[in-house]
Amino acid sequence: MDTQSYCPVPPGVGMEENFLSLDDILLSHERLPVRTECVFPRLGFLEKSSDTQDIPEATKMELPLWLSKGLYERKRKVLSVELPKVYREGWRTVFTADPNVVDLHKMGPYYYGLGSQMLHFDSPENPDIAQALLQTFIGRFRRTMDSSQNAYNEDTSALVERLDSLEKVLFRSGQNGLNSFQSWEKGQASQLTASSLVLNYRKRKLADVQT
Amino acid sequence: MTSLSTPRCFWLVRFAARETAMDPSEVEFLAEKQLVKIIPNFSLDKIYLIGGDLGPFNPGLPVEVPVWLALNLKQRQKCRIIPPDWMDVEKLEEMRELERKEDAFTPVPSPHYMELTKLLLNHASDNIPKADEIRTLVKDIWDTRIAKLRLSADSFISQQEAHAQLDNLTLMEINTVREFLLDSLNCMYKLRSNLQPGSRKGQLTDY
Repeated sequence: MDTQSYCPVPPGVGMEENFLSLDDILLSHERLPVRTECVFPRLGFLEKSSDTQDIPEATKMELPLWLSKGLYERKRKVLSVELPKVYREGWRTVFTADPNVVDLHKMGPYYYGLGSQMLHFDSPENPDIAQALLQTFIGRFRRTMDSSQNAYNEDTSALVERLDSLEKVLFRSGQNGLNSFQSWEKGQASQLTASSLVLNYRKRKLADVQT
Repeated sequence: MTSLSTPRCFWLVRFAARETAMDPSEVEFLAEKQLVKIIPNFSLDKIYLIGGDLGPFNPGLPVEVPVWLALNLKQRQKCRIIPPDWMDVEKLEEMRELERKEDAFTPVPSPHYMELTKLLLNHASDNIPKADEIRTLVKDIWDTRIAKLRLSADSFISQQEAHAQLDNLTLMEINTVREFLLDSLNCMYKLRSNLQPGSRKGQLTDY
């Protein structure tokens, strides 16, 4: 029986982040292109390209998602967030044409997560972005499913390579189902095996002896 | 634990959901409750168990017992197992053809056909004629059905259906795709709720 000793907290995926998810913490470090709408006094050291003490109005720079989300306000304009290029119209057309050819790992690797987070910033394109995310997921679903359910006992790194981090989680759960079924069918499930904890314990003891 | 923030609650729920995923050997355990006919070679009065009464056993007289008992008796060479009616090469061949022809899932002879085939063939293959052929046929049927299941899962997702009928699907079949399908549907649900602007009310008030 395949008991999992470690169940990572899954990412929140939607607009709400999952507080305890490591994936969502990494996602909050993604850089976003922003444009300042007012002067940021004495913060010139953040902007490496100029030597001024303040960040002047209308500077284009990159800020991490967590900071942009904190500074962004609908009423009082502090900064405006521009869309990263994978969410712009040009790329959206590519995604709708054939989502399977795109390397989401290179584009992302948090394509769905960051896309959903972009909806926090008021933009007229928001409904289109949400639609594109959903359609991309649906379009790629078949391939994720087939590859995760068919790759038994082989190197999966080539299959996983182009998947978004969200799809990787799905791929792994598909593999879980396949592997446990296969081991049952081959009769391995009924054999008792030593817990990995016990095995590791022995290993550690051996290492202690050697030192 | 008075003030659980929402993400923590969510995490707890998720954790509980993980626990309910079933292992194939648990499905097999359930299948062992199915009845099978045996011919005992010993005599014994009725025995009374919490789960039900068994017997009486008379040498040469066929009785119906659950699979777990049949296998136990068989291993101790106290009985001969009579394979179920459907475990027959001709009938299975017919079923395989029908399964390949139809688009929908065809009715299976037993809700645990896969598990029973494996159990009976592994432990009592000397009582079942043409055991190897039966094994191949059942595996063929299984493969066809799994391919269909995947096809329907894909159309379920791509047409964004809200519900699906699982007619004639067996527990083992559902169990192999359960984790993947549920996780995918969860993701899709969240991506879909992005589309409704109403779902984000009060989102930005914290900042």
